[in-house]
Amino acid sequence: MSLINVESELAGTVWSIPVSPGETVEEDDPLVMVESMKMEIPISAPRDGVVKEIKVAEGDLISAGQVVVILES
Amino acid sequence: MSETSADKLAALQAARDAISDAGRPEAVAKRRAVGMATARERIDKLFDPGSFQEIGGLVEPDRGHEMSRDLVAPADGAVTGTGRIGGRPVNALAQDFTVLGGSIGTVADAKCGRLVKFSRERGQPMVMLLEGGGHRIQDGMNAAHFAAASPVFRELASLSGWVPMVTAIMGQGFAGPTAYASLCDFVVMLRGKSTMGIAGPALVKAGTTTEITKEELGGADRQADAQGIADLAVETEEECLNAIARFLSYLPQNAGETPPVIPCDDPADRRDDALLDLVPADSRKVYNMKKVIQTIADAGSVFELKPGYARNMITAFARLGGRPVGIFANQPMRKGGILDAAACEKAAHFIAMCDAFGLPLVSLIDIPGISIGPAAEDTGLGRRSGRLFFEMGIATVPLASVVLRKGYGGGYYAMGGGRAFDATIALGWPTAEICAMSIEGAVDVAYRKDYEAAPDPQARRAELIEMIRGQTSALDAASGFGLDDIIDPRDTRRILIETFANSPARRADPAPARRRPISPI
Repeated sequence: MSLINVESELAGTVWSIPVSPGETVEEDDPLVMVESMKMEIPISAPRDGVVKEIKVAEGDLISAGQVVVILES
Repeated sequence: MSETSADKLAALQAARDAISDAGRPEAVAKRRAVGMATARERIDKLFDPGSFQEIGGLVEPDRGHEMSRDLVAPADGAVTGTGRIGGRPVNALAQDFTVLGGSIGTVADAKCGRLVKFSRERGQPMVMLLEGGGHRIQDGMNAAHFAAASPVFRELASLSGWVPMVTAIMGQGFAGPTAYASLCDFVVMLRGKSTMGIAGPALVKAGTTTEITKEELGGADRQADAQGIADLAVETEEECLNAIARFLSYLPQNAGETPPVIPCDDPADRRDDALLDLVPADSRKVYNMKKVIQTIADAGSVFELKPGYARNMITAFARLGGRPVGIFANQPMRKGGILDAAACEKAAHFIAMCDAFGLPLVSLIDIPGISIGPAAEDTGLGRRSGRLFFEMGIATVPLASVVLRKGYGGGYYAMGGGRAFDATIALGWPTAEICAMSIEGAVDVAYRKDYEAAPDPQARRAELIEMIRGQTSALDAASGFGLDDIIDPRDTRRILIETFANSPARRADPAPARRRPISPI
């Protein structure tokens, strides 16, 4: 088991968070939806795992490279 | 008693046995201990059975000076020769890591040079299976030898765009192997086993005091996924060798031949209803462009290059009615599909390769624009995006552009939308929305004074946005003849197949006779 810091690839606003801590996710499942460039863009799970911690809340402004979720894989 | 012919033949056989895996059990055992194959096993698996003819197997290393006097180096550490892959001749070199750490000696260098000559004169692909250090230190730390340098890079550059060039980094590949790979069209590495980079951890520590593991420094996470200097990272040696064969299967033997068209049992007029729902009309919603590509192309024919790098841009070989094509597409799922420096370079290199080898291009467009802001400027995007314009500008293979949804700004031009690069056919889906920039952004830039002066500024802003949106539709694009047609998404496959079947192999080149164009980077 290892912890993965899932980062946002781009700056924007957290639009929605479709997962909860403890939830099992598969690779490519959306973890956080970011509103950027007038689009709702997913930050997806880089691999299968369990959501360990969510580091952002809806409405937060985030920057590129910011850790949004810690995934246990 | 003098030697007979049979004695001489026996001596030859003994010499051959000595360089074979069977004759080098200790070397084979070292490979087994680390779960890796020998150079000769790799060659055997790469080529059609029994087709490989080795050259230079019996060479001895250069022992011409003090430090190299006692070197033992079977085949000088490189297995070289010609064989067949999928029935077609290919020249290959495999470095032997069990010989002086896979270092490149003077004689192996000459063997490589001869393979390059074969590839150049016979018009055959060149494949290098690399694993080792760089230059052999025993040779290199002597100016009498090193001052002459090696002509290998000039030789490899002479092949570029003439024959497909492939490097597989099959283990350690810092320095020399990475330099060789840099001139190749396709580079594949093994995740968790291969490393690439200018210099390995020992030199990095000696030169910069930085301590770092070889995996962190040059593993697939960095070199394939983050930097894209490898086009593909795979898990096993078998996958690696299969990837080479697959890559070559889309390409002609050389730029003078046409790409290999194969029989296709996937109907040209297959209409997949899934295409009606894959792209949401609401441009706020993203979708997976890979599904669009999979649906349009011949079943099972999509071979993605650089899948882990610049994932906002998809580049893939595929077939349409059996004809190899190069597809490049914005991926809305990643960064909204925006064009940043990495995406531009990824697409530009891919377009250059397709143009060199005659593969028609398909551009699938859903582009919110070219990346903006200080972080984007710090990547030199103002220049790096120019490489994409440049390659689109000089490519002469047939080009089909399809605007699926957003066709915004300079990114729309760069992707070859409309008449930007005289596409063979310029198409749009009914969901296309084409304009110079995001509509909200345009209203804020150009009409701020207008709506701020209104009794209800937000209502006026919304009104302006709706007004502009009402003149950016697919039918608006068709009305001005910026696109050739708006099509039912389900007809995309058939129209692309027919377009390429009806087009000459090259579009007219508008450039006057010149020595060469100059790439922006």
